Amino acid sequence: MFHNFAQLDLHISIAAEPVFHIGGFPVTNALLTGVVGAALTLGILFYVAGKVKRDQYNRFVGLIQWVFEGLLSQIDSVIPDKKLARRITPLAVTIFFVVLVNYWLSVIPGLESIKLNGVPLIRSLTADLNFTLGLALITVVTVQIYAVKYLSAFGNLGRYFRNPFKDPVAAFEGILEVVGEVSRGTALALRLFGNAFAGEVLLIVIAALTSYAASVTLPFFMAFELFIGFIQAYVFFILTLIFTSLAVSHEHGDDHSSDHSSADARKRAAVQTE
Amino acid sequence: MNVLTQFAATETEAAGGDIFSTLGIDWQLLILQIIAFLILVWLLGKFVYPWLMKSVDERQAKIEESVKAAQEAEAKAESAQEDIAAMLKEARKEAKDIVVTAKDEAAAMVADGEKKAKARADKIVKDAHEQLEKDVIAARKQLHNDTIELVALATEKVVGKAVDSKADDKLIARAVKEAE
Repeated sequence: MFHNFAQLDLHISIAAEPVFHIGGFPVTNALLTGVVGAALTLGILFYVAGKVKRDQYNRFVGLIQWVFEGLLSQIDSVIPDKKLARRITPLAVTIFFVVLVNYWLSVIPGLESIKLNGVPLIRSLTADLNFTLGLALITVVTVQIYAVKYLSAFGNLGRYFRNPFKDPVAAFEGILEVVGEVSRGTALALRLFGNAFAGEVLLIVIAALTSYAASVTLPFFMAFELFIGFIQAYVFFILTLIFTSLAVSHEHGDDHSSDHSSADARKRAAVQTE
Repeated sequence: MNVLTQFAATETEAAGGDIFSTLGIDWQLLILQIIAFLILVWLLGKFVYPWLMKSVDERQAKIEESVKAAQEAEAKAESAQEDIAAMLKEARKEAKDIVVTAKDEAAAMVADGEKKAKARADKIVKDAHEQLEKDVIAARKQLHNDTIELVALATEKVVGKAVDSKADDKLIARAVKEAE
């Protein structure tokens, strides 16, 4: 068994590996899988929208619509402002679907075995820090944009920089807020990447460990991966919403502390579901 | 064991670069993926979500409408029930009134009939009395005349000679009057 294991020569890389280069631009395996994932997401959602447009319903359309409706009601419950809720919807819902589809692509059989130029061809986009960091950046920037829109540029800066001579505690809070903003984005990126990468490694290791019994053991872990994928997509989605509502809820001058704590509680609850 | 050494190998291999290259972060890839994702968001937000949202909104509106309709129907049913109850009450009251008036009327009618009958009976009795009296008077008159005649006849017979009937009559009338 151990001999077998040793001979397997597991190939695990934290970074997505370039399969080939197009004029100095590295085309990684995650990027290739990501293109497939994006195409799948687009295909599914356009198909559903077309069906809905023509008032034709089947089970699949119903399922996607049911999910969409659930997400919408989540958005409405987290963000009380109806207009803002509708504006953040495209981003939040796209994050959910793209993360979900791309995460689920990691359970495609042949994760380790299909290779091109010695590099495994399939690697979930969510297991590539470039993508998760990009998503986190988009989220953080979007939140800042909405904060500026709702609080004005000066009001948004006021969240972070307060006069330390007037209110030293609030000034310290502001500094913490800056740190929090950075850590939120980083955590957002690393959480998704960590889960997806660990999931892939788990599948590879289980496949290697159980060798021929893998066809029996792997489905359980794949089902688990599907579940985690859903959870991660939901967490990313709900955190985007919570960060947005947090940034905007500072609107009401003095009682921001209570706002903050309730929103923080919500955020904490959401993170705990992870 | 081999796995561990392999991990170690990758780490040492990457140790030459900074943390970003260790984690596989490539600025080109990062920017490309951000742009790609934004395009995805824009595409879906333009062509997909409005339709889905519309359908959700429509369904929500439909649900609200049906809830409203159900509430209205319920209210209507309630008010109808109330109406029916009120109508029944009214009808009952009317029926009661009708029965009472009918009873009263019947009693009045009976009383009236009785009164009328009594009056009639009284009249009949009275009429009978009057007739009787008249008859008696007539009879008496007849008797009176008969008597006069009889007496005249008798007197004629007794006297044997017919007196002047006029004087006769006068005489007899006087006699009869005395006899009365």
